[in-house]
Amino acid sequence: MFFSRSAARYGLALLCFSALGLLAAKTVRIETDFTAFLPPSATPEERLLIAQLRDGLVSRLMLVALHGADENTLARASRALAEKLGRAPEFDYAANGSLNQFAVQAEVLMRHRYALSPEVNSQRFSAPALRAALEEQQAQLGSPFGMLSRTILARDPTGEFLATLRQLDPGSMPALRQGVWFSADGQRAFLIAQTRAPGFDSVRQASAMATVRSALAEANPHVDMTLTGPGVFAAESRRLIERDATNLSLCSAIAILAMLMFVYRSALPVGLVLTPVAFGLLIGVLVVQALFGSVHGITLGFAATLMGEAVDYPNYLLLNTAAGETARGAARRIGRTLALAVLTTVASALALTLSSFTGLAQLGVLTMVGVTVAGLATHRLIPWLLGGRILDFRRLHVPTSAAVAQAKWPRMIGLAATLCGALWLASTHPAWWERDLASISPIPEDMRAMDQRLRREMGAPEVSFFLASRGASETAALQAAEEVLPVLQKWKQADWIRSYDSPAWYLPAPATQAARLRSLPDMPALQKNLDEALHGLAFRADAFAPFVRDVAAARVQAPLTRAAYAATPLGAKLNALVVELEGQWLVLTPLVGVGDPGKLAASLSAMPEGTQLVDLKQISTQMVDGFRQAALRQAAVGALLIMVLLIFGLGSLKRTWHVAAPAAAALVLTAALLTAGDQRLGVFHLVALLLVLGIGLNYALFFERPPADAAERDRTRLALAVCSISTITTFGFLSLSATPVLHAIGSTVALGALVSLVLSALWARPSEARAASPMH
Amino acid sequence: MNVRRLADVALIAFAALLAQATQSLAQAGDFDLVRLMQLLSLAPAIEVPYTERKYSSLLAEPIVSSGTLSYRRPDTVEKNMTAPRNERFRIAGEELIVVRNGAERRFPLSSQPLLSAFAASLRGVLAGDAALLRSHYRLALEGEEQSWRLEMIPLEEEISRYVERITVSGRAGRIEQIEVREASGDRSVLQVR
Repeated sequence: MFFSRSAARYGLALLCFSALGLLAAKTVRIETDFTAFLPPSATPEERLLIAQLRDGLVSRLMLVALHGADENTLARASRALAEKLGRAPEFDYAANGSLNQFAVQAEVLMRHRYALSPEVNSQRFSAPALRAALEEQQAQLGSPFGMLSRTILARDPTGEFLATLRQLDPGSMPALRQGVWFSADGQRAFLIAQTRAPGFDSVRQASAMATVRSALAEANPHVDMTLTGPGVFAAESRRLIERDATNLSLCSAIAILAMLMFVYRSALPVGLVLTPVAFGLLIGVLVVQALFGSVHGITLGFAATLMGEAVDYPNYLLLNTAAGETARGAARRIGRTLALAVLTTVASALALTLSSFTGLAQLGVLTMVGVTVAGLATHRLIPWLLGGRILDFRRLHVPTSAAVAQAKWPRMIGLAATLCGALWLASTHPAWWERDLASISPIPEDMRAMDQRLRREMGAPEVSFFLASRGASETAALQAAEEVLPVLQKWKQADWIRSYDSPAWYLPAPATQAARLRSLPDMPALQKNLDEALHGLAFRADAFAPFVRDVAAARVQAPLTRAAYAATPLGAKLNALVVELEGQWLVLTPLVGVGDPGKLAASLSAMPEGTQLVDLKQISTQMVDGFRQAALRQAAVGALLIMVLLIFGLGSLKRTWHVAAPAAAALVLTAALLTAGDQRLGVFHLVALLLVLGIGLNYALFFERPPADAAERDRTRLALAVCSISTITTFGFLSLSATPVLHAIGSTVALGALVSLVLSALWARPSEARAASPMH
Repeated sequence: MNVRRLADVALIAFAALLAQATQSLAQAGDFDLVRLMQLLSLAPAIEVPYTERKYSSLLAEPIVSSGTLSYRRPDTVEKNMTAPRNERFRIAGEELIVVRNGAERRFPLSSQPLLSAFAASLRGVLAGDAALLRSHYRLALEGEEQSWRLEMIPLEEEISRYVERITVSGRAGRIEQIEVREASGDRSVLQVR
């Protein structure tokens, strides 16, 4: 009878768990967009930055480096690859520097050359100017270069197409070898491909990468390739996070299971210990999914480590049952301590939940829900499952030196170490704050280094400075961007900037285009000038009839618009640099090689109103700083809440001090040890330190609870040993991850748990002698 | 030493004999590419006056220019135009150097396939370097030693887009004419005087 009732309870619990598991499998959607971990954007500039990072031009560019073969082979592979990718549905275009690419774009520039060329004015097509142009063309016919421009000579004897192209030449392109981009040493051929998918869409980015790989395998399987770029990072980090989360969770699960088996030597208590963790995780993930609509990969990786903390509660309960005592009895005895341990962890996670960072809020919710469920399951579910049954397992004895427990000196050492740590932190502040937005990205360091190296070799520097021109309409903004061109030219001549790349060059304001077209002569006048200019030259009289026809067509042509550039590299650039932002139009002119931004900002007054120097690096640093301050404020609120909980829960300031002091000291020492190890503290370290606080408080609470006798003290010691080993194991495994986020959290918490344990043990009441307190 | 080993030795000896025989056969009589290249490679340096005519559908009459063409071992080719104006093209090392209107501009040959193919055709013919020519062109030789015609058709699509073929003709080790026929139908004929 007893057996069957107990079996029914287990069956019911298992049924509940399976139902929840099924629900999770059906509903939970995992995403890995790292911008979920970006700070919320307060200013329009910040929103612009986020938009650029998420799906701007830069985020869609994939850099392809071919290597491991001779120059000829690489050049051929580059051409074949560009051709294949240009036709692939995953890509807008693939550029390799070849002149024959982008027929559509060249056609647009050719068709609108008279509206685009800065050389066009009323004197350009007079008889003397035409004569000079034609003499030059005749002279060039003999040169080997003539061949390239010969094809359009009849249509464009004054060279407006070339003048347009010259203007667009960024001047910092990689070296050409055999007509395609190469690194200076000729070891690597470069291509730039623009994906259709935004950079953060890791799934479609992964399929784009697969397309590149199979295209190269078709073109030449013996050539090696390196892919990089924001989209590649997104796809790779998804893969890495998934791999690490799976592997490391599995490893730590196995390690914990092995340790539990060693401690309990029986399957039932091990199963019971895992029950609250499993319920906590599952319900936590479900709640996150319900609140946020998806679960971030990093949250999930983190969730797996939550078990390191949640597993402490059932361990503490089971190991605290005295011989012959039911679990219910022990639960009643330790209930208050357990509740405090859960509540303080919830309070520390509350700070995260309040964060407007989606990713961090998810972590907070998951921790709060997971820990609460695990605590409740420990306190209620385990005793209910066991009923009146008395668990019988061998209790390990953890030896300890009585001298250490009694002596004062270990406490003094702990105090001195903490003071040293605090001094170190204070003296080196604020150098150890991480201020680089890139630190948030889950990309391993070596991948980022490779990306930067390839970018340097390509001569494609990362642009940080933009000049923003504003207007009520696209036309007005373009007009404003055109007005700054003379100043930019001056900046360039003064070497204040190395170069600039104005969208107004390839999309001049309609008024500018119209003025150029108006200056074109009508057909009879042009014919007359041309006849006069041709006199005495070797050209045939009707050789330039196509030119006369083109000019006549240009005079009645509709203005060039952004739409004409659809699906070309310039079109993609326009979409990124000419944007509508909150009812205003913004034209961004990238500035390369800015020496002294202060000088530029000072001469902005000469520019049209609303012109602004935008420094993406500065904005991103501000964002990270702003977020950190918010996180610190939230953490302070959390800490205050914890203090209130402790004072009320323990009912004594002195006992609160015994619990809070070691936990706080552990935080200081952990932070000091990390920064002494040359680690900069970023957002994720703060998150991890919050966790350390929660764990430290748990230990201090468990240690602080006055034991009734020596046997109970021994039980507490065993419980704490098991708890801390499981925490250090799970987070230790996490610190092995190549993903910076997971590594930061893992190493911080593993270190923090160790420091917390040592300090709690040193500072807790040394013996049961003084345990006459009525409080349990 | 076993029988198989012996057979191997015999085979090698036979192959060596055969090779020698073919070589002497070539030296003895028939004019072929090997022979032409041998003849061309004998000249240590060349400096000859030339006249070039440029024909184009845009031109009523060909444009005529003249100057000197020179070659120095191992790879320096210079086209020094003196009429109707001064202009100099020099291919040396991995660069093309152009001097026009007193201004000098340098272009790495490797930057454009057309440039490197163009340089290879001149250097290959002047130095008698068949391997260099073959890396860019399909070669066809006609005629005899005293009146030969070497036709070069570009292998790469990047080049045949612009150049249909280059035809070099001459007598023994002396080049007499270089004709470049472009894909557009235009052509230039350089004649050594």
